[in-house]
Amino acid sequence: MADKNEQTMNLTLKVWRQKGPQEPGRLVEYKVTGVSPDMSFLEMLDVLNEQLVSRGEDAVAFDHDCREGICGMCSLMIDGRAHGPDSAATTCQLHMRRYKDGDTVVIEPFRAKGFPVVKDLVVDRSAFDRIMMAGGFVSVGTGAACDANSILVPKEKADKAMDAAACIGCGACVAACPNAAAMLFVAAKVSQYALLPQGQAERDRRALAMRKAMDAEGFGHCTNEYECEAACPKEIKVSNIARLNREFLRAAVSAD
Amino acid sequence: MQATETEEKACCRPADCRLVMLLESSIGKKIMVALAGLFLSFFLLVHLAGNLFMFSGAGAFNHYASALAHNELLPVAEIGLVVLFLVHIALATRAWFINRAARPVGYQVYAGKGGRTAGSRSMAVTGALVLVFLLVHLKTFRFAPAAVREADLFALVVRRFRSPWYSAFYVLALGGLGLHLSHGVQSAFQTLGLNHPRYTPLIKKLGLAFAVLIALGFMSMPIYFGFLGGAK
Repeated sequence: MADKNEQTMNLTLKVWRQKGPQEPGRLVEYKVTGVSPDMSFLEMLDVLNEQLVSRGEDAVAFDHDCREGICGMCSLMIDGRAHGPDSAATTCQLHMRRYKDGDTVVIEPFRAKGFPVVKDLVVDRSAFDRIMMAGGFVSVGTGAACDANSILVPKEKADKAMDAAACIGCGACVAACPNAAAMLFVAAKVSQYALLPQGQAERDRRALAMRKAMDAEGFGHCTNEYECEAACPKEIKVSNIARLNREFLRAAVSAD
Repeated sequence: MQATETEEKACCRPADCRLVMLLESSIGKKIMVALAGLFLSFFLLVHLAGNLFMFSGAGAFNHYASALAHNELLPVAEIGLVVLFLVHIALATRAWFINRAARPVGYQVYAGKGGRTAGSRSMAVTGALVLVFLLVHLKTFRFAPAAVREADLFALVVRRFRSPWYSAFYVLALGGLGLHLSHGVQSAFQTLGLNHPRYTPLIKKLGLAFAVLIALGFMSMPIYFGFLGGAK
């Protein structure tokens, strides 16, 4: 892995430390040494934690799982940007070659009323699960597997539905939104079903119920600033938000 | 089937609940703000067209003003405008407070990735500025003593604009209005669900052009009659 000519870096990190949900938090400065440019950002945090633990200090808690950009578990506001400076990438896909020796990096948790801090950089994103439970599903008969192409789906619709379904539910849209709105997430989830024949049965109910659940979680209102689209690691488009607005209006006006 | 029935109960089913939902829900509120905003934008265009009679001289402008003032439908239009302003301001203000509450602990560092524009980030400030302007503007002209208004409105306008502070405030506020419209107009289409790769780029350009037209159009009067000494 390591190139023999590789130069390692020393960085100054300002990391949000918070012992628990109700505890006050603050930025704490750490020096992390021996960071390889080949490391991912999360591996750099692993190195920091090794150094902290070896000094007998408490490791920094942060979320991570697959470390290949598909699980939606990693988060972090890095120098004020959700998932760091790169576009179309999660924090685990951010590499330390983006930084140079001596850089200072500020690391904060995703912040929203709907994403309360659990500890340090870990936030509780189960609000998204509750929004999904309100309507982010299709009801299907679970008998024998039906013929694959029995329901025809136009290619354009299938493509758009797939683009919306690329959402990994990481919450970067909420974190990046000046209003902490969850519209891009909800829009992606509503869109992936609204575009497909299988999603029609619950279409109106879904739009109304997911909107209701979204508001109940304390997320803000969309003001079309499009920071969500810019921050989304899966490049979910704000045209989905327009679709959500249409779906909501349609359901509000015409649903039984 | 039982699950669906419970869910239906959880939704507001009665028809009378839908209006409340349109005013209370996040998306509904934005739709109302967008609709009111677009109607108000149309009003701005009509208002500008009428006001440009200022450049045709006292006769033409006073004739236009008197015809407008004596139109029997004017009170209806004015009540409509008041309702539009109230809906736009009240719901947008309420949304603003909810949005502040949606992030109780702010970021120490917030940089963004380039989605925001000067117009989008200043909507609350420019909106408040336009409201203050509106109150000053109404007090000066709409609620000027009837005798003064009816005698020679053109002279009243010119007299007010001769005050450099008054004209400077107008130019500043109208700049704010332009900034507000630069985000507001195209944003309203998105809120109403009108987004398409074919025409959204055009809507964005036209929205910006509209904002520039309205701002420069209205600014032309305090600049010409106030600073350039027009109608001497």
